[in-house]
Amino acid sequence: MFTRGTLIYIGQRLVLIVLAVLGVSSLVFLGIHRLPGDALFSEHLHGDQYQQTLHHYGLDRPLWVQYVNFLAGMIHGDLGESLVNRGVPITPIVLREMSVSAEIGLVALIFTVGIGMTFGVVAAIRQNTWMDYVLSTTSVIGYSMPNFVIATFLILVFGIWLDNFTQGTFYFQIGWPGRYGSIGAIWLPAFALGFPYASIVARLTRASMLEVIRQDYIRTARAKGLREAVIMVRHGLRNALIPVITILGPLVIGIITGGVVIENIFGIPGLGKEFANSILNRDYNIVIGVFTGYAALVGLANLGVDLLYVVIDPRIRY
Amino acid sequence: MAATAAAVVTRPIAPEQASLWSDAWRRLRRNRLALAGVIYLTLVVIVALVSAVWTPYSTFQVGVGIPYAAPNAHHLLGVDGLGRDTLSRLMAGAQISLIVGIGTQILVLAVGVPIGLAAGYFRGAFDQVVTFLINLFYGIPDLLVALILVFLLGPSLTNIIIAIAVTRWMDMARLVRGQTLSLREREFIEAARAAGAKPAKILFGHILPNALGPIIVQATFGVPAAILFEAFLSFLGLGVPPPTPTWGGMAAEGIVTIRISPAMVIAPSIALSLTLMAFNFLGDGLRDALDPRGRR
Repeated sequence: MFTRGTLIYIGQRLVLIVLAVLGVSSLVFLGIHRLPGDALFSEHLHGDQYQQTLHHYGLDRPLWVQYVNFLAGMIHGDLGESLVNRGVPITPIVLREMSVSAEIGLVALIFTVGIGMTFGVVAAIRQNTWMDYVLSTTSVIGYSMPNFVIATFLILVFGIWLDNFTQGTFYFQIGWPGRYGSIGAIWLPAFALGFPYASIVARLTRASMLEVIRQDYIRTARAKGLREAVIMVRHGLRNALIPVITILGPLVIGIITGGVVIENIFGIPGLGKEFANSILNRDYNIVIGVFTGYAALVGLANLGVDLLYVVIDPRIRY
Repeated sequence: MAATAAAVVTRPIAPEQASLWSDAWRRLRRNRLALAGVIYLTLVVIVALVSAVWTPYSTFQVGVGIPYAAPNAHHLLGVDGLGRDTLSRLMAGAQISLIVGIGTQILVLAVGVPIGLAAGYFRGAFDQVVTFLINLFYGIPDLLVALILVFLLGPSLTNIIIAIAVTRWMDMARLVRGQTLSLREREFIEAARAAGAKPAKILFGHILPNALGPIIVQATFGVPAAILFEAFLSFLGLGVPPPTPTWGGMAAEGIVTIRISPAMVIAPSIALSLTLMAFNFLGDGLRDALDPRGRR
């Protein structure tokens, strides 16, 4: 499956990702220096103290020297240190938060594809029945609801109403327990993140499934006497999937950026939460780090999606 | 024999004088969901217009009710944390959502349509540059682009409209480019060119009117996308700055106190979702009505 050509392709893409990450972080680095306010303002540092702190971060040097130092640090994988929590290096923080965001995003993606494909296939098989109409309407409702609205209602239902109704027997802990693979704690945020995109997947699957099940090879499969379920899954769904995987790229980007809001609502310490915090704290070094992390995450996710094409559709080769 | 011919003549095959637009309007009216969307959106527009001159309480005045009060006879949707009437703010929030949604689409149309037309018609180097830019913008997460722009320009209504338009122009440009590419090969364009029409006349007089259907559908779907985007930005605290009421900002304020006053977050959430849904249903209806291939 992964031939030599594929490996070369992966290498090229990795180089491009590094360049894109450098580009994004440079843009943010240069842009952020035009912003008003600074993290040191609230500390009421005066005179020598202030100068020493500035010198500690190299902020007293000309912008181009700062930029060269920043680039040199980036190449060594060093994003500098936090302006607010002095002496705390940013790279490990960003890496840890990237892995948290990636885990939520991955679970959300499983929801998106799982729910979307199920809805789409059922709606296509039962075309023009009440089930089709209910599922199609649910899809429009789904992608008309911002993920924070879905999150709000999930919190209301699972965090508050069910808790009150069952006198606390059912209690959904909102937040992150600090463990990976803790599906019990993150299925709710992941659902809120994935559901709007599930609607898009459902519409696409339905349309492409409707086209596929009218093909001759489906009739041939029926004529062979195969069971309906086998026909639908092995012959129908497999081919219906091809248009669906083409939107996986934008979908993954949507899930990653949607995480900014969801992580803040559910208090999950991923990149999105750090993003909001660092902006409020005016901790510009972390803001740059977070954008760098996002650029890397998006690049790697897109690469993953492109490699997935090869797995699902053997006709695609790199 | 003669009788059959007369019968054929008296029973016209196609409805008389059915132009594309009246035909489309007839089909749109038959789509109940799209019609419900139109009615709801009309209501939202009326509410937005009314709120510009009258709201039950002042939109900005604090302390008109007990903070966090639940919905009651005086405050139909309750009171927010600063003692402002939620219904009044919800009504005024409709203005921002509509301005952002429609303003963004006007910008997107103004930028995307000419670029798409020119790229599709002239091809060559310009087309390659445009295609590259379109792919580039699709590759970058739109939320990050908008956030960087809002940082650089500063948060205000105009800048947010610009920031959203920057992340959305390529949808329109790509669509118009594709339409132009197929239309420019048609005979009537060749005839226009043979008759000596200038490129501007061909582009805006012949190609654009024939691509109008898909453009309208795309713009209709673009409005809810922009409204959603603004709600996102406001939710993150980077949208239209307070105290201007926006649905996203109201939901963000409300979610913090969801335990003590759920109405504060439910009201803007439902208003936002219904508006987005109405636009999406209308877009679906318009696509079915204007796209001849999709005729059932």
